[in-house]
Amino acid sequence: MRVKLLFFATLRDRAGMKFLELEIPEGMTVQELKDKISADYPNLKQSMQSVLISVNKEYAFDEAVIPANAEIAMFPPVSGGSWDS
Amino acid sequence: MQPSNLPTIFSITESELDLNDLLAQITLPNTGAAAIFTGMVRGETRRGEVHDTAYLEYEAYVPMAETKMKQVADEIRVKWPAIEGIAIVQRVGKLYPQTPTVLIACTAAHRDTGVFEAARYGIDRLKEIVPVWKKEVGTNGEFWVEGDYLPKPGE
Repeated sequence: MRVKLLFFATLRDRAGMKFLELEIPEGMTVQELKDKISADYPNLKQSMQSVLISVNKEYAFDEAVIPANAEIAMFPPVSGGSWDS
Repeated sequence: MQPSNLPTIFSITESELDLNDLLAQITLPNTGAAAIFTGMVRGETRRGEVHDTAYLEYEAYVPMAETKMKQVADEIRVKWPAIEGIAIVQRVGKLYPQTPTVLIACTAAHRDTGVFEAARYGIDRLKEIVPVWKKEVGTNGEFWVEGDYLPKPGE
């Protein structure tokens, strides 16, 4: 099944692209997707240790199963707001 | 008034933040108090590692960021039911020192309703769960600022 994978901030810089469309097997979990990305994109391997992942705009965790046509995003811990810390 | 009728603004924008306009949008006939937090780009950092900042470049995963801002507003209404209007707005793009980048404002009938705490909670939560990132460009070079909060299931 097909899914869309978006990258933001450091993940986008390291990936060298904003998004990727890929074919994944049904029943694939978030952890399995991270393993696949680590294997296919060595630049991103280290990032997979601390990456945050969302599936359809909600935070998703390692054991979550990815649904068909999902919009997945990978990004570092957020740093919005102001520059006040 | 039902919470569904109370004004709640949440958005990511590339435009200048108009604090007066946002405040007006969350001011109701019975509003008597507003707590407004706005954060700006600091050009000179003296706490910690001393350095100057030329600009910050903000980016957001817009649809998810707006969903999470709505969630922060919902959390505020559960914790402080007396809150009337809520505005949560993050500006993105290249932003220079002394420019407001974010606004969290809460209104209520009176100041002893939790309105200060609600605005404080709003900015703290935004920095935890709303997918926005910033890259600093300045005398120390160029680097992404990363937070350290790891969202938990249900967040």
